[in-house]
This record gives sequence, structure tokens and C-alpha cells, in this order.
Amino acid sequence: MAVARRQAFAKDALPKLKRTATGLITLGQLLFIAGTGALLYFTNIFHVYPEIAVAILLLQAIFGTIIAIAAYHITAQPLKDLMAAIIHTSGEPSAQTPPNPNDSRFAKNGFRDALQMIYALASKAPDTSQKAPAQNATDGTSNPVVAPAQTHSLIEAALNETSCGFVVMNQQRVITFANKAAPVNINQAGASQLSLIFNGNDTLDAWLDECAKTAVHAEHTWVRIPNKLPEEENRRFFDVIASYDKGAESEVVLTLVDRTDQYSAGEQELDFIAFAAHELRGPITVIRGYLDVLQDELKDVLQDDQSELFRRLTVSANRLSGYINNILNTSRYDRRHLKMHLAEASLADIYDTIRDDMNLRASAQNRLLSVEIPADLPHIAADTASLGEVIGNLIDNAIKYSNEGGAINVTTAAKGDLVELSVQDHGIGMPGNVVSNLFQKFYRSHRSRETVAGTGIGLYISKAIVESHGGTINVSSEEGRGSTFTISLPTYQSVADKLKAGDNTNEGMIDHQNGWINNHSMFRG
Amino acid sequence: MAIKTILIIEDDRFIGEMYVRSLKKAGYDVDWMVDGNDGLIAARNKAYDLILLDVMLPERRGSDILTALRGGSEDLIPHSKVLVLTNFEQDDESRLAMEKHANGYLIKAEITPSKLLAVIQRLG
Repeated sequence: MAVARRQAFAKDALPKLKRTATGLITLGQLLFIAGTGALLYFTNIFHVYPEIAVAILLLQAIFGTIIAIAAYHITAQPLKDLMAAIIHTSGEPSAQTPPNPNDSRFAKNGFRDALQMIYALASKAPDTSQKAPAQNATDGTSNPVVAPAQTHSLIEAALNETSCGFVVMNQQRVITFANKAAPVNINQAGASQLSLIFNGNDTLDAWLDECAKTAVHAEHTWVRIPNKLPEEENRRFFDVIASYDKGAESEVVLTLVDRTDQYSAGEQELDFIAFAAHELRGPITVIRGYLDVLQDELKDVLQDDQSELFRRLTVSANRLSGYINNILNTSRYDRRHLKMHLAEASLADIYDTIRDDMNLRASAQNRLLSVEIPADLPHIAADTASLGEVIGNLIDNAIKYSNEGGAINVTTAAKGDLVELSVQDHGIGMPGNVVSNLFQKFYRSHRSRETVAGTGIGLYISKAIVESHGGTINVSSEEGRGSTFTISLPTYQSVADKLKAGDNTNEGMIDHQNGWINNHSMFRG
Repeated sequence: MAIKTILIIEDDRFIGEMYVRSLKKAGYDVDWMVDGNDGLIAARNKAYDLILLDVMLPERRGSDILTALRGGSEDLIPHSKVLVLTNFEQDDESRLAMEKHANGYLIKAEITPSKLLAVIQRLG
């Protein structure tokens, strides 16, 4: 609106000036004629030679008016030219040809520098792309004027000195300015683009989409956003602050604070965790493998209590393996490296991959595990291995936080575009203040710290995995009565198109259920 | 075509012996190679029904072996199936590159010998 008002003002100014000038000229002429008339009257010329007197008055009126109008046009012309230049550079539609500063008349009347200054100012404005004609006009100048641009280059130079990145985008989300420190690269089409790896669905584009729908002014901060993948050279970490101002010329302004020094120490820690977890997998392979071999080869000679000991060994080794996967996934997730490979799958098939292990765990710890997953539930888009780990974590928790002989019920429900899976225990439950912190990393309630072993990352990574599926995880709990954890996942049908289009880069890989072996993860757990 | 002959390329002695033991017990004809070069030569010299391929191997990595066998214009082991077995957490691209040329990709720590037998049976 502000722009429209300014344009109307620019256009209105000249006619207004013309009206004022016409009024003044008319008034001046009337006064002048009245004066001359009076002079003629009192000198008696009017009485002696009335024809001559009338002729004098007539001639004076005609020539006086012509001279006044000519004077107005000559003195107002430079003003008109300046106005035309301003109207032109403001981008206001106009039938007028913008004045050429190289025209000889501007050299004569001394307005050449003023015109060039207007064009130079306009060409230094941030959205030069829209003012190409103004630039063309200055292209021909033999004597470019730089003085007014100094403020711009000063700010630009200053922005290039800082280690903070600044990026400005227009309403089409095209980058119109990026300083030196900004993580921006040029794509194949020759356009600048941000090189930032956002985490999961919480991307700048997603936020801007949201803003475009609902916000006028908005601000959002992302922390620890890397510009490259972990193994790449010169990887940097930024805290990204985005400001959104709907309709403004610079609709999006990003401020990127380089926090590489602060975050890279944590990165090395995560690298170490990943490395250590890999190392742990070797011995676990051997332990689980030989337990399997021995149980099989000794099944005829083992006594019942000895078999039970073997079962406990197996359960413990399996749990250890699950925890290592949690740690590995957490480290990958925190390094923005956790990728889901979503494929069409049924919850029943996913549960089958962990069924034996879960039954063994429940029976070894005297819990009554009942699982009801109908085969005709809608299929979901799932990373089978990861989702198996989530369900395993939930059942593991249900076992941990319930009592001997307690029942654990796994049930499912189809609700529109969502499929729900609930794990219900009848154990110790939680008070409300615990529930709100439950999905935080390393969170352990005061009570469970004392009584139950755990790392505090199971629910954290489960939530991350479920959300990477486009789903949600919820809990309802009553102290002393038990807890129910529910995960809701979108049906395959509801996300298939999006997956095929590859919109979601975190979930770019799509396998179709055209052969069981393609889904390697069927044999995990 | 049922699987009868299996080549294991695995450098960890405990794990290699474990697979050999349970696969032989299950009636398969098993050869075991410890380093990558020997593994590649063995795979080319005999038409195994199945190759169990580790990734982190001395001399030549499993990914290189797979590329040498199946990465060119001609599949050098058209009669063999390949199961990649690893504990190494590969980055996504390398993993996808291997999965493209393999019939399966499994994490060793998640696979006990009896599960491996089940997988092989379904492969064959």
C-alpha cells in the first residue's frame, strides 16, 4: 500500500504545479493589465485615443501571457526531467521516455549530475533486477557517479567482514543478497541456493510454506544446522535465525551464526560413540551367534534350569544389541544422519521381525505379553528395522516399569489416514510432571534413576524415528495404574504420492514390496 | 535352484568359524576365505550358489569385491547370489551402492546362525 501511495504522489505533483503556475500567471496578467489600464485612464490617453489604449492592453495581455507561459516551461523543464527520472526509477508505470542524462541540454542547464545521481542511486538499490532499464540508462554514461553508493558498499564490506552469514530473499524465495560468510552455493541453473542440511521435516522451506499460509511477521531459530554431511571437508555449523515479513521486498532475512567451534567438539564425541558402537557389534555377533549354536546343539542334554539360563543369556544379549542400536541411531540422528528408507509394509510383518525376541524377553521376565495385530490393517510407509526397534523399545519399557506377572497388551487401530499401535502396561505409571519430560534425551525420572536401569535415550530416539515417518507418539499414564504409549503412523496410501515424488528428502528411498529380500531389515532384531 | 555351495568371505575368525560350523551342519558345502583378494579369486574360480560377503576385509574391501564382480558391463557371477553381512555402519550412499548389486544386506550383530539359515533357505 505504501508503495502505491508514493507512486500516486509522484504522478500528481506535476499537474498540481501546472495548476499553481497557471493561477499565478493569470493573476499576474490581470494585475498587470489592471495596472496598465489605470495608468492609461489617469493619463487621459484612454479618453483621447481609446483605440490605441485598447490595442496596448490587448497586446500586453497576449504577449505577456505568451512570455509567462514560455518562462514557466523553460524553468519547469529540468524539474519535469528530474520527476520523470524519479518516476522511472521508482518502477511506476509511465508512458514517458526517461530523460537521457547525456542529452546536450542537460550539460547546458547543469542538471546532468543530478540526473546521473538519481540513476546511480537506483542502480545500487538491492532489487536491481527489477530496475534493469534504469541500469541501462546509466550504462551509457561516460562519467559514472559513485558517491551515493558509498553507504551500500560500506555496509556490504562490513557484512563481508563478519563471520555471521546474512542472506536476503525476495518474495519468490530467490536469494538477492548473501554475504561472504553465508553458506550459499551456485546450482547448475546458475542460481544461488542455500547449502544447509536441516533436520528431518523442520526445514526452512517448510517453515516458509507455513508462514506464507498463516503469518505476516514471524521469526524462527534453528540450532546446529550443518552445511555439509559429516565426512565432507570444511563442515560448518550454524544457528539459523529467519525473519519473515510478508510482502516486503526482502521478505526473508536469514542471519546465520557460525558455531562450528562450539559444536564440533560434540561432533567428535558423537563420532566416537558411533565408532564404539560398531566395535561393540563384533563381540555381540559372536555372543548371540554362539548362544544360538550352543542352544541348538545342546538342546537334548540341557536340563530345564540350564535351558532357562541360556534363555536369559540370549535375552540379555538381544537387549544389549537393541541398546547399541539405540545409541547408534541417536548418534546418527544428532548428526542429522538418521535416514529412513520408507517402503510399504504391514505392522503385522514388522512385528514378526521382533516377535520371537519379544516373546522370549517377556517370558524370561514373567510378563504376559499379548499382541493383537490384525493382518487386514491398512499398510503403512515404514522403515521396518527402525520401526521394529521402536516397538521393541516400547515393549522393553513396559516390561521394565511393570511387575512380575503383569500383562502387557499390544493393540492396533485404523483411524482414517492413520494406523495406531498402542503398548499398554499395568505397571507403576508416572505422574504428570514426568510425562512432559519423557521424550527428552537422557531424561530419567528421579524414581526410575534409583530403581530401574536404563540410558534415557530409548524414548528420545523412538520419537525421532516415529516423527521421521511422519507420525506421532503419545503417552497416557496414571500413577500406580500403568502407562499406554501410542504411535500413530500415516497409511502408505496417504503418503505414497509424496514418497514417489521424492518430496521428502529424508525419506527419499522407496522400495516396493516386490520381493521380501529387498527389505533386508526383515531379518533384523 | 536350491543353494548348495556357499563361499564365506569373512576375516573375523570367531564369526567365520561360527558360520562355517552351522552352515556345514545344515548340509551346505562351504568354503571360507579370510582376505579380500583370496575371496575375489575364489568367487571367480567356482560358481558358488551363494556368497556371504563382509565389508571390512584385509587386502580388498567387500564393496570393491562386489564392484569387481558385478559393477562392470558383464556380471561375472551370474549363477551366484550375494548376501552382504557387515557390522560396519556404512554411509547411506555406499550402502545403497552395495545393495544394488547384492541380493541382501544384513547387519551381522542382528543375525544369528539360525536366522541366517532361514534367510538362505528363502533365498534359494
